[in-house]
Amino acid sequence: MAPSESVASAVETGFPNGIHSLDRALADELWRACDAAQWGLTRDEFDQILLEAGTAQNFGLDELAAPVEAARKQQAEFFRGLRMGDLVLARACARGNERAWEHFVAVYRQPLTRAAIAITGSETLGRDLADQLYAELYGLNEREGQRRCPLVSYRGRGSLMGWLRTTLAQRHVDHYRRTRREEPIEEIDAPALDPPPQTPAHELSLLERAIEQAIASRNAEERYLLAAYYFDEQTLLEIGRVLDVHEATVSRRLRRAASEIRKQILRNLERSGMSRRAAQEALGADPRDLEVNLKNLLQHSQTEAFQEQAAS
Amino acid sequence: MSARNQHGFHPGAESLNAFAEQALEERERAEVFAHLAVCRRCRQVVALAREAADADMVKASAPPRTTIAPNAWWRQWRFAWIPAAIVAAFAAASVSTHIWLVDRHEREFKIVAQNPTQGAAPASTPPATEQAEVVPPASPAPAPPPAHAAKRTHPAEEKYLTAQRPGLGTTEAPSESGGIDQVEAARETPPLSHAEEQQSSPQSTMGVHGSADSQPAAAAWEAKQKPAEEQSQAGVDKSRRRYLVAKAAPGTGSAPSANQPTPQAATQTGTAAAVPSTLTATLLPATPAVSAGLPSQRRGFLAIDRMHLPSGLAAVSSARSGSIVLAIDKAGTLFLNQDHGNTWERIDTQWTGRAVAVTQPFAVNGALQSAPAAQTGTAPETSTNPGPAPPSPATFELFNDKNQAWVSTDGRIWTSK
Repeated sequence: MAPSESVASAVETGFPNGIHSLDRALADELWRACDAAQWGLTRDEFDQILLEAGTAQNFGLDELAAPVEAARKQQAEFFRGLRMGDLVLARACARGNERAWEHFVAVYRQPLTRAAIAITGSETLGRDLADQLYAELYGLNEREGQRRCPLVSYRGRGSLMGWLRTTLAQRHVDHYRRTRREEPIEEIDAPALDPPPQTPAHELSLLERAIEQAIASRNAEERYLLAAYYFDEQTLLEIGRVLDVHEATVSRRLRRAASEIRKQILRNLERSGMSRRAAQEALGADPRDLEVNLKNLLQHSQTEAFQEQAAS
Repeated sequence: MSARNQHGFHPGAESLNAFAEQALEERERAEVFAHLAVCRRCRQVVALAREAADADMVKASAPPRTTIAPNAWWRQWRFAWIPAAIVAAFAAASVSTHIWLVDRHEREFKIVAQNPTQGAAPASTPPATEQAEVVPPASPAPAPPPAHAAKRTHPAEEKYLTAQRPGLGTTEAPSESGGIDQVEAARETPPLSHAEEQQSSPQSTMGVHGSADSQPAAAAWEAKQKPAEEQSQAGVDKSRRRYLVAKAAPGTGSAPSANQPTPQAATQTGTAAAVPSTLTATLLPATPAVSAGLPSQRRGFLAIDRMHLPSGLAAVSSARSGSIVLAIDKAGTLFLNQDHGNTWERIDTQWTGRAVAVTQPFAVNGALQSAPAAQTGTAPETSTNPGPAPPSPATFELFNDKNQAWVSTDGRIWTSK
């Protein structure tokens, strides 16, 4: 993530001159294809937009490698993988182009409101959320005397409408999480005292360690599936929509992940000196006796992974 | 990553949206997956954004249901419709034409036009000028339209039924199909010329024909019967203009004289016994010559509407003598009429088999009188001595499908011949 941040900051502050240069013929082709003149953009402004977008993502080259001059073929593949029409419109709006804004309002205002209503589940909250984002997009917020438009962060890898929906969802989730923290703690009836664990403490500690190792060994997609299904209680259909797979596929992957984790736990227990039978009996322990926090466990493993990436 | 939490940075809306739209490369996708596995906030964001996209997609795709799919199944057959339509149109036209032809054929079946080439002796037929001299114009009524025009334009109104006497010289037996074949055969016969009409028997319009020039007795008898026939003809329904014409074979009508029988007459004399009758009902259009050149009583027409037979069937054979008219329908039922076609009386079957023809072969005089006389053994002097004689009582002859004959004088009581 660090390279992305560095590139993003470079885009904001101005990319280094001389690292990349646009192929003129490719720029002409993209200029005609995008019909950017309808938004009142000049050719120089269009080239500037292209250069910013290409530099921000290193023209699709490995961001970890040293910046190199992208060949015309690489530039062409990169730009053809982007939503150039949406990107030019977003940048034109971010620059305050009136005609671009008129087009944006005509095309995206109503879908934006509908998406906000769908996300919040309330028409009132949805309209408020959409209006708030619309005002923010229009650049009413200023920082250090400069107009700030979130459309600048759109890079054209997905659709502009999808970007708007995701931005709305981010706003809504952040608002929900922020307001939830401010809610008073509900009075919860104190549960009855748990009976003393029947499994010996030594075996429980072995089991906890085996579970931690098994979960940590799974890949990111399986951990996402486990977290979305068991923690977030998302349905198979919802998870399938995010991953663009059928819900039956999600179910099959979940079953396979749970089976693999169980086998891995058994192997870890046997490796720690327990017999096969004792390991199977240990798996039958009451989960409430375990001191395993799966959420913390996943976060810890992920944190380690991010730390590794950040260090590199 | 645009936001920071305790685990690092959250992926920005750009990355999360690209992840949801499957637009990320593998490496970046794995990073987002790793983050989503530990970040509930981003999982919620992705899930909510995806849910909103699906809701919007459902709304957007719901209304235009009336649009036609570009690859609709019938469009794939658009080139096959053209030949199919052509074939269908051709088939419809063929069926329509066939129906029209069948209908026309049925009409023409009823309208029998006499063909001047069959059986007639052209040399013996008087020219038109001669006919005009011989036949005095008896009726001031305007001449009807030409035969062929009347036949084509108003077939239903211009039907003339001519019962043709057994053809002289023909040796074929009566057809099993009765009158149908006879009618068809009669279509080939030529229309009556004035001379033939003039030579036809005045007493029996159905039956023996004689030459008026060579039969003074017949002429005298004709003069006597003329008022009576005019009176009877007045009752005929002229609006329908269907007339029964009893006509002998064409050669007979043109015979110059009874004393000098033509070869056809001689042949008939010898063969009439074996082949008693091939009575042909012929529908004749009213030719100007016939209608204008002859008096109605001489023409000997009698209105017979086949549809007026009580059985509802067409008449295949008929004969008339005086006011007595006999008619046989297709089923072989004999009907008798004495009031010019108004009331028909069904005659009980007194013969065997199916009646196919009824004739009035015994005339008072005329060339043909010798034929049945020779067969039946009656006195042949009537033909050899054509002096004036009173008309004999009407005698009808009926033939069944086995060529057996029965005779009757009043049409009601029949005895085997």
